[in-house]
Formats: sequence, structure tokens, C-alpha cells
Amino acid sequence: MDIRSAIANQGYAATKPATSPKADPNAGAQGGALVDAGKSFAQTLSQSEEIAKAALVGQADSQALVMALAQSELAVDTVVTVRDKVVEAYQEILRMPV
Amino acid sequence: MADLTQILSLSASGMKAQANRLRHVSENIANADTPGYHRKTVSFEAEFQNGTKTGGVDTGPVELDRTALSRIFDPGHPMADEQGFYDGSNVDLMYEVADAREAQRSYEANLKMFDQARQMSSSLLELLRR
Repeated sequence: MDIRSAIANQGYAATKPATSPKADPNAGAQGGALVDAGKSFAQTLSQSEEIAKAALVGQADSQALVMALAQSELAVDTVVTVRDKVVEAYQEILRMPV
Repeated sequence: MADLTQILSLSASGMKAQANRLRHVSENIANADTPGYHRKTVSFEAEFQNGTKTGGVDTGPVELDRTALSRIFDPGHPMADEQGFYDGSNVDLMYEVADAREAQRSYEANLKMFDQARQMSSSLLELLRR
């Protein structure tokens, strides 16, 4: 009995390394793309803020303001949609019967 | 998606150029009765950024219309010469109004493209939202 539990322990210990999290070689690249997307999103927003500020004091024309606002609206829309999709996927995983 | 955002900036450059043109038209109309005024015209040029064409449009340098000034007969005018004529402006209101209308139509066309690009991108995102 004792021998069998020792063997079971041993077997369990042997399978442990297989389930340990491994560093994904592609993780860096994917994370980089995501970080780049986030950076360009933040850049778009700050650019349109600058243009909006300039337009309010009469330094930028209204076409530039409308373009900047439309671009930032588009960017925010994209980010919100992607985030909703990611959250939905996560919730779907959580609902999965284990 | 990059194309759609590029359309926004291209249309905005077109609208900006047309607004600039309309500004010069209104300057011409405002100065239609100014003695010795030559009407201003702007040319449209391809927009360059860092030596490459962006595909947008830009207004070139302002040029003065070199046609002869109109001779107006008014002996009582302080600038009248011996024959009673003085130099008016060479602004023809007919040209200016036609130019203004063309600028308006081009502006509307750019605005339509702007709106279309916005609608296309939002309907693309709508696809993801379902």
C-alpha cells in the first residue's frame, strides 16, 4: 500500500514539469505588436487633443479639428470593440464546464 | 483600416484647400470696388511630405490676375485723371460667384468622401460587435 502511494507520488512529481508554464517564444512578438498598437492609439488621441486645443484658440482650421476628432473616434471605437471581444472571449472561457 | 483613416486626412486636405480658395474669392468680392485692386487666384498643387507625395492637395502661392484694370468714368473721383477716368479693380463678380460655387461643390464632394469613409469604418466595426 505504502509502496503504491510512493509510486503515485513519484509519477505525479514526474508529470509536474510538463504542466509548468513555459515561456512562449512568440509571446514577445505578439506583445510587441499589441504594445505598438496601444502606443499608436495613445498617440492618435494626444494628437487630436493638441489639434482641438489649437482649434479652440483659433490656430488650427475646423477641417483639421473635424478630421482629428473623427480619427480619434474611429480609434476609440476600434479599441472598445476589440476590448469587448476580448472580455467576451474571457467570459466564455470562464463559463466552460470543468 | 489604415486606408480609411488616410481617406479622412486626404478629404480634410481637399476641404482645407477649397476653404482657402473660397477665402481668396471672398477677398476679391470684398475688394471689387477698390481702385487698383488685382484679383487674387490660387493654384492647387499635389501635397508633398518629406519629398514624397501624400496624395493630398495643397494650395500654391497666391497669384495676381494680370488683366487690365477696368477704366471707370467718374470726373468727381479724387483719383480721376484729365479725361475723368480712374483705375478700378479687375474683379468680375460673375467669375467670382462661379468660382465660389465650384469651391462649394468640391467641398461638398470632399465632405461626402469623408462621411463615406467614416460610415464604412463604423459599419466594419459593427460587424465585430455582434
